[in-house]
Amino acid sequence: MNLLVLTKRVPATQEEELRIVGDGQAVDLTKVPFKVNDWDNYSVEEAVRTVEKTGGAVTAISVGDAESDEVLRRAIAMGAKDGFLIETEQVIHDPQARATLICNFLKKEALPFDAIFTGVQSEDDQFASVGGILAAKLGLPYASMVIGIDAFEADHVVARRELEGGMQERIKVTLPAVLSLQSGINEPRYVSIMGVRKASKVERKVFKAAGYQEHVKNMIEVVKWVYPAKKGGATMLGGELDTVCKDLLGILKEKGVYQ
Amino acid sequence: MSYALVVAEVRRGLFEERNLDSLGLSHLLGKEITLLMPDEAYIVSENVSHTIIRVKTEETSFLNPLTMTQIVRKVIEAKGAPDVILFTSSSSGIEQASYLAGSLDLPLITDVSGFDAERGVFLKSYYSDKIFGEFKPKEGTFVLTVRSGSFKESATVQESAAVVEALDNIAPPEGRSFVEYVEEEKGEIDITKADFLLSVGRGIGSKDEIPGYEELAGLLRAVLSGSRPVIDKMWLPKPRQVGTSGKTVRPKVYFAMAISGAFQHIAGMKDSDCIIAVNKDPEAPIFQHAHFGIICDANKLRDKMKDTIKKG
Repeated sequence: MNLLVLTKRVPATQEEELRIVGDGQAVDLTKVPFKVNDWDNYSVEEAVRTVEKTGGAVTAISVGDAESDEVLRRAIAMGAKDGFLIETEQVIHDPQARATLICNFLKKEALPFDAIFTGVQSEDDQFASVGGILAAKLGLPYASMVIGIDAFEADHVVARRELEGGMQERIKVTLPAVLSLQSGINEPRYVSIMGVRKASKVERKVFKAAGYQEHVKNMIEVVKWVYPAKKGGATMLGGELDTVCKDLLGILKEKGVYQ
Repeated sequence: MSYALVVAEVRRGLFEERNLDSLGLSHLLGKEITLLMPDEAYIVSENVSHTIIRVKTEETSFLNPLTMTQIVRKVIEAKGAPDVILFTSSSSGIEQASYLAGSLDLPLITDVSGFDAERGVFLKSYYSDKIFGEFKPKEGTFVLTVRSGSFKESATVQESAAVVEALDNIAPPEGRSFVEYVEEEKGEIDITKADFLLSVGRGIGSKDEIPGYEELAGLLRAVLSGSRPVIDKMWLPKPRQVGTSGKTVRPKVYFAMAISGAFQHIAGMKDSDCIIAVNKDPEAPIFQHAHFGIICDANKLRDKMKDTIKKG
């Protein structure tokens, strides 16, 4: 099996305070650390595990600036054979533009593949749609929210999709296909700094995005960035930790769940 | 004709309630509504849309993104292109919407949770609800997926029953087929039955912290649950997951420790009688939904609470 896996470098905003600047024209990410998109980490792991069983190779592909090389090195450290960067300084918000760029790249470079893995979504823009658009543009079958691959055969996969409320559906998808994988599908291996350093000795190829711009256009535009509307908000308990604890236990007693 | 095409989310004979959000947004957009659904028995009022197109196909085939693209092409052939095509922001809704947008080359905005009619902009979450983008699609037909709970109040009942039309000759899907539904394994405990949930998120840092929370839950006589990242990392078993892909809970007290509050998590616990949130990030979205909030390191508060309770 030859598997392509898309991996993206994203800002780690979980514990960061984000500021909107320039009258809503941008979000300041200059002080935010970057990391591999969580969903892609699971996808790379799944791709590597698959070829460990079936033979073949994994190629990691990233769209982004030169810094995105970091997520390619990481994928190689996890077991990918190659890392390709489609380099662009532009921040692409529109999933149509992103998917078209990737589609052009795959066609022009004529990369052979049995399946393309993507994460269900990226942590930053959460569009959850690049995989689906790409599949449609390549004329391939598609499945998203894949939480388990039960069988990986020469011409098809049997996979489970996560639905709502703890339910899943089992489906059969003909290869080649695009699959978007859900977090929790596996337990990604640990990647050491040494491992990434060793991976950096493997050459990664850089392709300028400018060479793959046919039909790439923004179909949606960001007018402005805004903060979420404040609701009533919580009553905040402050002070020393001792006081907070006592107040908290008082509330639990009042609500009748703690004696 | 100017109209909104609402693709219903149906599952195992049920017309999902979150379809009301797609209907509500269509109404806010001022469009005549055409509702697209399989030709099976669903409990849905005939007055929620102007037109209903009943598609002669199995429900599982209707939900298949490959088939849906074929169905929408046929609708466009018969009725002309709609102004907007709406799906629910759900496992199948987003899957179908993205495949359709890719096939027909249409602008797509997913997870829409707000609409400013005056400026014609749609609000979409970025960075787990910390920031929202105001998006505008280019001229012509566009595709949206609509966040559950965002527009249902705007859904209206029409005076007259919908005109029902039929659509058939849908070819069985190639390339992808449904096999069966798989139910999640039953856990040792049912978190939906608990009065008091102590729920932990990825902010606790590592699996090694879990025993400390188990101890606190024991002291408080609370049941331990968790958010998606905690389940994904296998710090807690899947039946203990709160959120749209896990369980929806309504305890008397929901005590969220180190959970930032992704929308999918909030949707699974927002109807709790009392929500208490602990997080070191004062901007964590969960504080917008909590009744009480504490800004501090959850692990420190946990240890302090254990000490306080033990001392009596």
